[in-house]
Amino acid sequence: MANLVVDIADYAVSKDPEAVLITYSLGSCIGVTIWDPVVHVAGMLHYMLPESSLSPEKAKASPAMFCDTGVPRLFRAAYELGAVKKRLVVKVAGGSQLLDENGTFNIGKRNYLALRKIFWKNGVMVDGEDVGGAISRTVRLQVGTGEVTIKTRNREVPL
Amino acid sequence: MSTLTVEQIIERVDRIPRLPSTAVRLVSVVCDPGSSITEIVDAIRFDQAVTADVLRLCNSAYFGLSRRVDSLEAATRLLGTAKILQLVMAAHTRSLLGRAQSGYGLAPGALWEHSVAVAHGSQLYARQFGLGQLGMRFTAGLLHDIGKVVLNEFVGAEYAEIVRCVSHGEVSFIEAEQSVLGLTHAEVGARLGEEWSLPEELIRCIRHHHSPDALPEPDPAVDAVHLADATCLLMGIGGGEVDGLAYRVHPDVLQRREVSQRGLESIGAEVVAEVRAVRALLAGNS
Repeated sequence: MANLVVDIADYAVSKDPEAVLITYSLGSCIGVTIWDPVVHVAGMLHYMLPESSLSPEKAKASPAMFCDTGVPRLFRAAYELGAVKKRLVVKVAGGSQLLDENGTFNIGKRNYLALRKIFWKNGVMVDGEDVGGAISRTVRLQVGTGEVTIKTRNREVPL
Repeated sequence: MSTLTVEQIIERVDRIPRLPSTAVRLVSVVCDPGSSITEIVDAIRFDQAVTADVLRLCNSAYFGLSRRVDSLEAATRLLGTAKILQLVMAAHTRSLLGRAQSGYGLAPGALWEHSVAVAHGSQLYARQFGLGQLGMRFTAGLLHDIGKVVLNEFVGAEYAEIVRCVSHGEVSFIEAEQSVLGLTHAEVGARLGEEWSLPEELIRCIRHHHSPDALPEPDPAVDAVHLADATCLLMGIGGGEVDGLAYRVHPDVLQRREVSQRGLESIGAEVVAEVRAVRALLAGNS
């Protein structure tokens, strides 16, 4: 089975039924998976920050670094492979925080809110999510079946 | 395990590879603000492998230099001493930090990548705090977790116990290390730095990267490493599976260094871009 690793600030789409999209060590970052059950097209995004206004140059070089530039990019790439928006199964994981939050380091929460906002504006429903806490997550998406699993420490469970 | 002292552990670590002598020499030359380019070149020139590496890296597409660099002097002039130090240190700690740290549940390359990320982050925070000697800030970040390489050899069954402690909730990874092993990777790393005769300032950063408030006077260099470590672990830049977010950020450090959300995000974005570049640069150079 081919593993397609999605790096931090990156995204990937695939319609190879044998492939598995995987992203490691989601901390405050958020992983978004999308899957079209009819054409079996899958996509995964691992963005790290909420807004591209932080650095337009960085957003240009790697749009997947930010929520507001990465999410449209992911969906468009899936449409190009034949996915249709209303059929997409959308899942979300990550958005963690460190111990003793005092506000400065609450990027995880800001990342999550940015995603809710963009999904709400575009009428995208979330079918499953595992967010928050002080844990690191690894996400796998089977392109052929659309199965998503979340691994935390030594436990792996379906989402 | 809990009956061992730091000294006993250090004594037993004859299997731990040494930091290459070129790297050690270069650190001390670069840490001395009065060093000239000639002295820096002298610290490298007798090591053919390093010289070849520096020239190859300088001529790589990454730097996009318009003409070919064929001497160490020219390379140092063009790129600056901090960049040369970065290249040499990143390349030479790869064999040391790049092995699988199974005792810590880290895959091969994960500790090295985390270390390179923290090195860049430390340098960026240090610059924000108005510190000089950026090559040294980079090195402090690069070596902050060196104690994990040593402890990894000794952590076996205890690792499960550390993970259990951390999983239970409000305990940071280093607190769990202290309670289960009776010592921490920060202390062991500092002792190793002493063995290697690293400059005092670097040893202080290694020893206190989790405990910046244990120093009698706040040290901006230590604060820089602490914040860089927290930033990289939070965002999962080269982070491990377990100790990832079980990290306590010292609120006093945030306050005295006036770290803003935007500043933190900018540094995170910068670090990810740098780590990607270094990874590409050193690909096939292990």
